[in-house]
Amino acid sequence: MSNSLYRLSTANQYDTALRNIGQRQTSLSNLQENLTSGKRVVRASDDPVAAAQAERALTRMTRNDTDQRALDMQRNTMSLAESTLGEAGDAMQAFRELVVSAGNGTHTQTERDAIAQQLLSLRDQIMSYANRKDSSGLPLFQALGSAQSPFGGNSPAFNFAGLPGQHASGNTQIAQVLDGDAAWMSVPTGNGVFEVSLGATNTGKAWTDLGQVTNPSALTGHNYSITFSVVGSVTTYDVVDNGPPPPAAPVPATPVLTGQPYTTPTTIAFDGLSLKVTGAPANGDSFAVAPSQTTNVFQVLENAIGTIQNGGNVDGSTDYGSLTHGITRGLTEIDSAMNRLQSSRGLAGDLLNRADRIEGEMDVRAVQLEDDRSRAEDLDMIKGISDFQNQQVGYEAALKSYAQVQQLSLFKFI
Amino acid sequence: MSLLNVGARALQANQAALQTAGHNIANVNTAGYSRQSVVLQTVQGQFTGGGYIGKGVEVQTILRNHSELLTRQATAAAAVDSGDSARMDRLRQLQDVFSGGASGIGASINDMMNALSDVVSSPTDLTARSVALTRMDEMAARIRDASQRLDEIGYTVAEQLKGSMVAVNSIAKSIAGVNEQIARAKGNGQPANDLLDQRDQLIRDLNQHIQTSQVAADDGTVSVFVAGSQPLVLGNKAATLSIEDPADFGAGSGQKVLNFLAPGSSTKVELNESMLGGGEVAGLLRFQNSDLAEGRNLLGRMAVAISESMNTQNKLGLTLNGQPGDNLFAPISLGNAVGSSFNTSAATMALTVTDPTLLQASSYTITFTAADAGSVTRASDGKVFSFNGSGLPPVTVADVFATQGLGVALSGPPNAGDRFMITSLQGSAAELQALQYSPVDLAAANPVNAAMGKANSGSMQLASLKATGQPAGLVLPPATGVVMTFAGAPATFTLAGNTGAPVDASTTPPTPLAGPPYAFTPGQAITIDGWEITLNGAPKAGDTVTVGNATDPQYGDWYKRDAGNASSLMGLRDVPMFDGATLSDGFAGAMAQIGTRTQSAQFAAELSSAIAANLERDRTAVSGVNLDEEAARLIQYQQAYQASAKMIQIAQNIFDTLIQGLAR
Repeated sequence: MSNSLYRLSTANQYDTALRNIGQRQTSLSNLQENLTSGKRVVRASDDPVAAAQAERALTRMTRNDTDQRALDMQRNTMSLAESTLGEAGDAMQAFRELVVSAGNGTHTQTERDAIAQQLLSLRDQIMSYANRKDSSGLPLFQALGSAQSPFGGNSPAFNFAGLPGQHASGNTQIAQVLDGDAAWMSVPTGNGVFEVSLGATNTGKAWTDLGQVTNPSALTGHNYSITFSVVGSVTTYDVVDNGPPPPAAPVPATPVLTGQPYTTPTTIAFDGLSLKVTGAPANGDSFAVAPSQTTNVFQVLENAIGTIQNGGNVDGSTDYGSLTHGITRGLTEIDSAMNRLQSSRGLAGDLLNRADRIEGEMDVRAVQLEDDRSRAEDLDMIKGISDFQNQQVGYEAALKSYAQVQQLSLFKFI
Repeated sequence: MSLLNVGARALQANQAALQTAGHNIANVNTAGYSRQSVVLQTVQGQFTGGGYIGKGVEVQTILRNHSELLTRQATAAAAVDSGDSARMDRLRQLQDVFSGGASGIGASINDMMNALSDVVSSPTDLTARSVALTRMDEMAARIRDASQRLDEIGYTVAEQLKGSMVAVNSIAKSIAGVNEQIARAKGNGQPANDLLDQRDQLIRDLNQHIQTSQVAADDGTVSVFVAGSQPLVLGNKAATLSIEDPADFGAGSGQKVLNFLAPGSSTKVELNESMLGGGEVAGLLRFQNSDLAEGRNLLGRMAVAISESMNTQNKLGLTLNGQPGDNLFAPISLGNAVGSSFNTSAATMALTVTDPTLLQASSYTITFTAADAGSVTRASDGKVFSFNGSGLPPVTVADVFATQGLGVALSGPPNAGDRFMITSLQGSAAELQALQYSPVDLAAANPVNAAMGKANSGSMQLASLKATGQPAGLVLPPATGVVMTFAGAPATFTLAGNTGAPVDASTTPPTPLAGPPYAFTPGQAITIDGWEITLNGAPKAGDTVTVGNATDPQYGDWYKRDAGNASSLMGLRDVPMFDGATLSDGFAGAMAQIGTRTQSAQFAAELSSAIAANLERDRTAVSGVNLDEEAARLIQYQQAYQASAKMIQIAQNIFDTLIQGLAR
């Protein structure tokens, strides 16, 4: 029996050579697949960990794209809200100028009525700004939820049919709508601490300014009434404290100042506040001082229009007292309202800036995720081509050596 | 004359040697052929006065060059190689079903969830809602499609196994026939070389299908055993093998077993899969019982978890008509556990999903040792959970499955020794069906709404409001709402109008908040009555937040412009659902699991292929024909033949000389 250490079976030789050629052919074809698809990991079994990484990177990329798209929509709506507030501010400014011009002493009621007409149309315009919706029907000032047109009602009961509050903004999104209640429905009356109104039955020509706080710690927050009595040529006034406003329990009125002399102008001061009265009151005229309440933009506009429309007396003369007081108060309250709108606009601008920043971050993130995915599954072209050429050379060598070896046989020589 | 005899004998011997060399050359490429060589021996010399005179050469036997050890090793290695490559081929097919990328199932799931983002941006846009519902339908179709492809793979594997069984049974019969022939031929005194080669080749063919071990008997027959101990061929009798459902759990188990039927017997013996070794049948059975089962379980778990969690969330919300939402997907019923046919009691076990985030992609086997005690084995990793309803502390079978996200309900007490198998996830993916098609029916709105107090002076903003139904179901606020009133510093709040106490749902189980008054941390999610609110910013004393019932008439149709529930549906993307991976990453995990299996099967197949090739080369180094060697032998024996012929010629010359010398 011959030594099997040095023996090779002919059939097995061919089998082995074929097997090697087959193996090389397969790896050549796999490399070709890698090159044509550009991927190092074509199937999960090529590298399961990398395949899972690439899949996760793809998931995050689509999510990033979705977030960017949502951010665009949020930004569009917020832009529209911001520019609407700008337009509303312009309209309020125009309203203010008309109110100032209505205070002109030379106007007759006819002229004031003409101005009032313009003011009415501006007021309707401003109302429509408040109720504006974006392209998909979402009210811009929806707050946390509202009716299709959030602002409605008539004087003196304008209402906001919605849920006050502001949505928070996050890392990948900004709020889409603004708090309409905070923008339009939160105007303080008077000077912010207290308001002064003329008695309804006043017949004289006296009017007050909006007053100021001289000593905050002495404020009581009660209702007061200032009553004038004119006896002959002596005018005096009384100040009575009517107690805290409802819903507190009513308290009997206590006098604060009695029989104070009055000439024009006079500063009346009591309980930490003071106000300046100008003009000549009639007997029995009174002013009411009450703590400031919350009103809304539309009511303020409505009050201003009302003052101008009622500026004339029945006999055709001008009721300077109520007109001047109403216009002064109206201008201050219009300024307060414009302030509120302006601060909402500021918030909107802030959110838009934030959206820009978020978008920048999202862009960076998109690039980073694509990089992750590529690193996990893409083929390094240079390495791939060089591997392919190596395999090609090896395959050629296998084929050539097979051709050479099979020509060697003892049968050729015998 | 003895010279003539010597010459004639030599001629015959060399002729036999030449014929043997020719036989080898002719069979150089015959599979399984063992090289034959002629064994010559001298004829005993004749005693004469001058010494023993040799009488020439004769052929003792034709030797079959083969090594039993090498043959056995090579056959076994070939069996393992065949099994590994069969399994690898099938795993490659399975892997294609779980392919990733932009056209894979994972991308389809994520597209479905991301489509809800457009609904959140414009809640009244019917197109956005339509698109979201269409994507749900597409995803369900894709998963059903993948399930069908898995079924097809299972079907072709079953067909291949059937074919293998036919081949195995017929080869076994052939081996038995050859055994008989060899036993008869053995009586003639010389080994029947070609029959032996034929039998070895048949055994090699058999091992391609299933690995066997061989034991030689004294009468020359070889008995072939499968699975270590079952005699497939005993002498001249062959048994049969078949592939069937297991006897205990039947077709419901999703498993197949190899059955052995001895000739003349009528009881089938189930062969243990781990004893089968190599061979195509073993590889395919392993694929069918563990790899394909895992693929089905992974797909089924995804279908069940996604549909359950989305259904639950949709039912909490409000549609565009103000009605509570309905199921987005047809609820997948898990049916009953499969009872063993050897169970003595009539108890059945009904299955439900209790927590989709805890579901495992595995089958379970439950063995009862008493009516309320026993053990549960999880098939995917072999973990065993024991339960004892009367132990300390008592753990029932329902408790064990609650940790696996399943609810089990026994219809009656089982007896000791009863067994059940849970394989419901395997068929779940085929039942995933989208139910809602009308855009109005997507429950995008929250059932509750929130309002900040008009007089709030702090900086609080609403970060999120969602209905979760945790921990004990959703209770809608009364008409006056649930009012949270805040105090300044330190930031705390009190509640009015709520039914249950507030909890922090981020822990398991949820921890109740300490108070009242409850501490307020900006950004912390507070769960009350089944809804959850998150507030940012700092409150001032007296600030309030009121949470109301969105369908209350005082709010009119405001819910139509709310998309809070759609946000919650999108939020499911980040819920850990698949072994800790989030819903959006679940498919990547499944893909990697199947890919890892395929890769290791590939490595195993490459390794066993290399080993088989090496052993075959070693075997043929002994038994294979080398043409150059045979050519040399031809020349060698030809020379000897010529020399022998010359010898005869010389003998004749001698005779002629003798005759001439005697003739007158």
